[in-house]
Amino acid sequence: MLFNSWQFIFLFSVTAVFYFNSPYRLRMPILLVSSYIFYMYWRWDFAVIMLLVSITNYLAGRFIANEKSRIRKKRCLLLAVAISLVPLFYFKYGDFFLENLNVLLSVSSSEKQFSYLNLVLPVGISFFTFQALSYSLDVYFGKTPVERNFVRFGAFVAFFPQLVAGPIERSSNLLEQLKAPRRFNRNYFLQGSKLFVWGLFKKVVIADRLALYVDKVFESPDAYSGLTLIIATLFFAFQIYCDFSGYSDMAIGAARILGFKLMQNFNLPYFSKSISDFWRRWHISLSSWFGDYLYRPLGGSRVSYIKWIRNILLVFLVSGFWHGAAWTFIIWGGLHAFYYFMESWGDVFLKRVGKVELKKSMVYRIFKVVSVFVSVCYAWIYFRANSLQDAFLITEKIFTDWSQGWFFGGSTVTYVLSWFFIMLLVIVQILQYKGYSSLYFSKSKFHPIIEYGWTVVLLLGISLLGLSSKSFIYFQF
Amino acid sequence: MIVQENHSIKLRPFLIRVFGVLLFFFVLDLAAGKFLETGLEKYYGLYTNAQVALVGHSHLMLGVDKEKLEKGIGISVAKYTREGVNVQDRKIMVEQLVDSNKEVSTLIYGVDAWSFTSEGLSKNSYSQFYPFLYASKIKEFIRNNASKTDYWTKRLIKTSRFDETLLSSAIRGHLGKWTNLKYGTVNIENLQRSIGKEEFRKIKNDAKSIEEFQKTMEIAIENNIEVILLYVPTIDLLQTAQPREFNRTIAIFEKIAAENKGITFLNWQSPWSENYELFYDPIHLNPKGQRVVTDSLITYLKQRNTLSSGKK
Repeated sequence: MLFNSWQFIFLFSVTAVFYFNSPYRLRMPILLVSSYIFYMYWRWDFAVIMLLVSITNYLAGRFIANEKSRIRKKRCLLLAVAISLVPLFYFKYGDFFLENLNVLLSVSSSEKQFSYLNLVLPVGISFFTFQALSYSLDVYFGKTPVERNFVRFGAFVAFFPQLVAGPIERSSNLLEQLKAPRRFNRNYFLQGSKLFVWGLFKKVVIADRLALYVDKVFESPDAYSGLTLIIATLFFAFQIYCDFSGYSDMAIGAARILGFKLMQNFNLPYFSKSISDFWRRWHISLSSWFGDYLYRPLGGSRVSYIKWIRNILLVFLVSGFWHGAAWTFIIWGGLHAFYYFMESWGDVFLKRVGKVELKKSMVYRIFKVVSVFVSVCYAWIYFRANSLQDAFLITEKIFTDWSQGWFFGGSTVTYVLSWFFIMLLVIVQILQYKGYSSLYFSKSKFHPIIEYGWTVVLLLGISLLGLSSKSFIYFQF
Repeated sequence: MIVQENHSIKLRPFLIRVFGVLLFFFVLDLAAGKFLETGLEKYYGLYTNAQVALVGHSHLMLGVDKEKLEKGIGISVAKYTREGVNVQDRKIMVEQLVDSNKEVSTLIYGVDAWSFTSEGLSKNSYSQFYPFLYASKIKEFIRNNASKTDYWTKRLIKTSRFDETLLSSAIRGHLGKWTNLKYGTVNIENLQRSIGKEEFRKIKNDAKSIEEFQKTMEIAIENNIEVILLYVPTIDLLQTAQPREFNRTIAIFEKIAAENKGITFLNWQSPWSENYELFYDPIHLNPKGQRVVTDSLITYLKQRNTLSSGKK
């Protein structure tokens, strides 16, 4: 079920009405049932996986909390992690491993080849698996109390506003909120609705429009000039941002209407002044997940220099692999790690030559924002390309092929509108950056009439220029 | 972290905000929808005193220059052409024209060898009629084709009836810009390769489409409108790739024209289908081709000399 569908609006409205008008003991069952209906609307059988992951982590949490022995706790945690990851690895990475195994076998002159599984990936499996795992890990590390009510825990894992594409919530935030009885709050309704509309606009007006151009160019990059490939890459940078942050905004907005505050998932990432800053602003819930459960348990930065390099590299490569079972995603992660090291070494260099003051100058800061954006865009090529060969070809053509002319995509009107909406987005983001416009429930400096007028304009834009519902990019992760 | 509940605003200002937004949205929607609707009517020449009307899909759209035609024959022309419309859609378009333009005396109806082949045309071409949901015939047509959700969404929200093609057409209608041009010349080598691999749109006449076409002709005749079935040239290679099917379709047009006094068939395959310089792609003309066809149409209509007399 997509957010930009009447089915969702219907389910959400019914849930909200029943949720706010039911006694406290019935509220969790209502949320749980709605969440499973939301998920099963797409495919009912995959809900079983979500249920099994929920049961596994619920039992693990209880066992870890009750067990005195540190070793047994650890064993239980590892078992829960392993069981939870089985469906993810089977569905998402099965074919990737078989493909690479087949390559290895053919290299070693073996005639044995494995046939592919060709499985359909359960929507949002990476998200709910990580969300459920975060609970077991938090119980193990003593960051969160054990949850004894399974219905509430099930609702936490399957919480439908953020079920299929995040933000990946932590039990310390969402599970705690689920415990508190909530009443309908008119402020939250207004705040949530406004954020939902903005997210929907980003998705159906901007992202889906840019996708028309991007899909065409990335489908056969050999047919286009370097300039067209640059434009398609730039468009993809905004497409994926609007698609994913649009979903997050809708999720956060919908949850807000129900009275919950989900964590912020994006914070103007294209204004980042460094790669580490970018990862504090892009898909915050995932980067903090890897920070808390992978980077820091490995020692973080409080280890030897070599181990620190290992830790950074591992986090970025795993993050790339989390996004997709292909070498393109792993290289994408690796590229970000490379940027991270370059930046770190650059800072060391500035310190050694005594030019640290340079970092405070306006020119340097602008240079950093632009260079981070360009670097991130370049990495997106690997993220979006259909194969490694395509990604290399695009890279080559960007630097060498300036022979052919402009490509306007299927329609000049779409092309012009795409640029227009990118400009509009940048203007809105500058206003958010400067604190004039609301960002994640912050107070806007504009008069309420202007704010509500803007929401009406967005609604009109969605109605007039919104493209038909297309799945969100991040659903596939 | 448990969120601190901030105090909810009072009911009255809350309701004012919610209903204010909804009211403002629907008022704007109504105004924008009306503005776009009239723009689209202007663009298609609906509700005008045009005596000549062009009806067809992109083939005719790129084949004839409306403004040049108007200047050439000195009579107002309605160019009601849309991309991807099939014979059934065109019947609706003719009905719409007959209802809205009482002065129409000549209908130039675009035909080609694929007129009775629904395959390869847009499957949801009915969506192009959304802006005219106010008309009862269109309402019925859309109700039969669109999903219930779509139908009611379009009825409720006027601006949702438009997409960017229709939006662009509506704005062009207000600005009075009617040019339809596609620049470039067809790549013959690619086409020959595709034909060699059997990768081209096949002519497959289906009985339902022929029936719809005949009904369209009946509607025109009943309303005393003379019909010119205009075959804007398509590349000869497609004709020679399937000669039997091609001739069979042409025979249908010739037969209809022979049986009805008010219907003329203009087959302009010859002499232009072999002149590849005139084509943007195998089916559509480029600006040069459009000029040639429009000039010929002007000459033909002038020689015919039945336009100024209006409806019989």
